Amino acid sequence: MAVETTKFPGQPESDPDLDMGQALLAQERRERLIQTVKIGVVWVGLIIFLTIALLQFNFDPAYVFKHFGFVLQGLPITIGVSLASIAFATILALLGAVARLSNNSIAQGISGFYVSIIRGTPLLIQIYIIYNGLPQIGTALIAKGLPQIGHLFILTAIQSGILALSLNYGAYMTEIFRAGIQSISGGQREAAESIGMNRVQILRRITLPQAVRVIIPDIANQFIAMQKDSALVSFMGIWEMTYRANRFARQDSKFMEMFVVAAILYWLLTIVSSWLEGILEKRMRHAYER
Amino acid sequence: MSDNTIIRVENLHKWFGLLHVLKGVSFSVTPKEVLVIIGRSGSGKSTLLRCLNFLEEPSSGTIDIAGQSLTITAGTRYDHDQAISMRLNTGMVFQDFNLFPHMTALDNVIEGLVTVKKIPKDKAIPIGMNYLIKVGLEEKCNEHPIRLSGGQKQRVAIARALAMEPKVMLFDEPTSALDPELIGEVLDVMKQLAYEGTTMIIVTHEMGFACDVADRILFVDRGIIAESGTPDQIFSHAQDERTRLFLEPIRKVQQI
Repeated sequence: MAVETTKFPGQPESDPDLDMGQALLAQERRERLIQTVKIGVVWVGLIIFLTIALLQFNFDPAYVFKHFGFVLQGLPITIGVSLASIAFATILALLGAVARLSNNSIAQGISGFYVSIIRGTPLLIQIYIIYNGLPQIGTALIAKGLPQIGHLFILTAIQSGILALSLNYGAYMTEIFRAGIQSISGGQREAAESIGMNRVQILRRITLPQAVRVIIPDIANQFIAMQKDSALVSFMGIWEMTYRANRFARQDSKFMEMFVVAAILYWLLTIVSSWLEGILEKRMRHAYER
Repeated sequence: MSDNTIIRVENLHKWFGLLHVLKGVSFSVTPKEVLVIIGRSGSGKSTLLRCLNFLEEPSSGTIDIAGQSLTITAGTRYDHDQAISMRLNTGMVFQDFNLFPHMTALDNVIEGLVTVKKIPKDKAIPIGMNYLIKVGLEEKCNEHPIRLSGGQKQRVAIARALAMEPKVMLFDEPTSALDPELIGEVLDVMKQLAYEGTTMIIVTHEMGFACDVADRILFVDRGIIAESGTPDQIFSHAQDERTRLFLEPIRKVQQI
């Protein structure tokens, strides 16, 4: 059988008016660059304006420089807690989504209950329950003569923080995974069924790999949100950025100075994360580019 | 069931809600036969084909494929595991190709071999290449579907179905989503398969092709088989008024 690889019409090397196309392309690029530079100037202008404005009102830059390093030392903990939590949350979300999409009524019931209860309560309350509430049960179990089980309920601050963030984000991400899997067309599933694949094989080989590509931006969004929500675990005395900022802010009544420092660090962290996500997204697009 | 049938369908009904799409369809197919199903849009011909590999769950009726038999009674649960094992007797080619976009052409073809038949990948690759050669696309083996034309995609989809070595190939309007200039290459592959003695059931609107390749044609109208016969009987000497009404305008356009 003859194989025909038709050339697309208007291929560059065959066109005598190639210069015109290249000039148009260069023009387009130039305009885009100018636009980017202009937006950058606006950003710089805003930053300068806010800095000057702050300095007019009893803001102590020397104090900022003195304690910047102290707050920065909390960054690894913020990143660590976020990374661990997003990893656990992803696993929970995957299990949750598969359960929600299964035909099994028990699995569907459990995952629906989990998503509902977590999404229906504030993260702060969940942290309180895990860090302050669970030890109450733990102590009672120990008193009843079950020390091994009892100690499982008494978590350190870091453990509580990671557990709370994982459970919380796992619930939201369950919905993201579910929607992602459902967004893969029925035709894909039918094609897989027609070559004899079972439900697990279809999920693992066909729908999930395609869904992951669709939901990468959403997961990255959740990760960025989590980096900021990790500030909520500061009240348990974890020495992450917010806790460190808070310490000096209260001690010396330098609230604006310290919290601006913390805010800038969170902001930079999320900018770096978005940038990394952009790279990841580009790499995953490979198979879909002509 | 006589020894010389590979598919036998008896009194097949399909309901979508309260819409009665198939109203007791019965027919059989012999090995190496090419059966073409024609009919208007919405007549139930695609549903009929999709019931044969249980992509649609039949509401009631009996389906025998290659010695395995499944009888479904309306309102009772049937053996889904058996339906799935019967599915391996058929290969399906879809109107929209439904290639897996995250895999290369070759990976698409060997996916079933590796995942379902558990053939080691290094053994599956030469098998897959053979089927790509059969559809004339060996040089596209490492391309992802997005870089293939519609006709090439459909040929890869045919290779993917063939690789599982089904006893019967099912084609659900395989050229309906193609640009006119790409239809020929797909029909050529199908003609080649027919020539080699592949048992095929084809739902199509390509009447010229149907005329060429079919051993027998079923005309489906409103959920029943209105008429069946050889291409000559159907196209030139249709007995049924509905068949004539359906074919008359087509004949004028396609000059059969």
